[in-house]
Amino acid sequence: MRQRKRAKRTRAEGARPLGPEVGAKAPPGLVCLGAVIGAHGVRGAVRIKSFAMNASDIAAYGPLQSEDGATRFSLTVRGVSRGAVLAEIDGIDRREAAEALQGTRLYIPREALPETGEDEFYHADLIGLSVRTKDGEAYGVVKSIDDYGAGDVIEIERETEQSIFLPFTREIVPEIDLQAGSLVIDPPAEIDAGEPGKADRS
Amino acid sequence: MSRSVWKGPFVDGYLLKKAEAARSTGRKDIIRTWSRRSTILPQFVGLTFGVYNGRKFLPVLINENMVGHKLGEFSPTRTFLGHSGDKRVKRA
Repeated sequence: MRQRKRAKRTRAEGARPLGPEVGAKAPPGLVCLGAVIGAHGVRGAVRIKSFAMNASDIAAYGPLQSEDGATRFSLTVRGVSRGAVLAEIDGIDRREAAEALQGTRLYIPREALPETGEDEFYHADLIGLSVRTKDGEAYGVVKSIDDYGAGDVIEIERETEQSIFLPFTREIVPEIDLQAGSLVIDPPAEIDAGEPGKADRS
Repeated sequence: MSRSVWKGPFVDGYLLKKAEAARSTGRKDIIRTWSRRSTILPQFVGLTFGVYNGRKFLPVLINENMVGHKLGEFSPTRTFLGHSGDKRVKRA
């Protein structure tokens, strides 16, 4: 049988990886909204991987800055192409200058984000909160919040055990205190339903 | 080819039993299961399953829109890495 050869995926020379580091923590007080992943065209436009809810909102909260705050970037979004935002940065008008920015992460101060509604929280505010049980016992730290299509799920990293995942509901997360940097959970009991192909464990 | 209608939706028997037991108690326990292949039935609405994705059990709170889908559809097996950005979450 004739086998089709799979095309080899290559990375452009000099490109910095954005793989596992993408999940790296942002410095305190800053929120990472995107990262420059390459140049576009010859007039200094850049391709940006946006972490904003709506990809093109990356420039909606004012000028962005580098991780150390030394450089500020005023962006003009030109469109979205192949999963990346195409933008022009003030002061960058050559492709070489745009290529030099590859791998730069773009941050905004946390204060630049608008107020949330009732019972609404930014992921950036929740991640890192310490978790206690209703009895006041330390339980772990919030690692991430995800939505896989069945409601929001909060991941709690524990010191001794594996991370656990709980639904982000009032019943399970009754108290959230952003000022104190903690939240209270009431974890539900877990029932084992058995494994396919094995006898019922009940 | 899709599954014949006369067979009805597939669901592992032991899971159905556990779900009915959990439903009768009225408690909000998480039913841990490896059965990603089971179809979500209307009687599962309101229950929470912990669906195994090969590494961990992800909580799946069943609502009416999920009926007819498989449990595994809501417990992805690939890891997504990214920044939180300006993403918000509303407590249900």
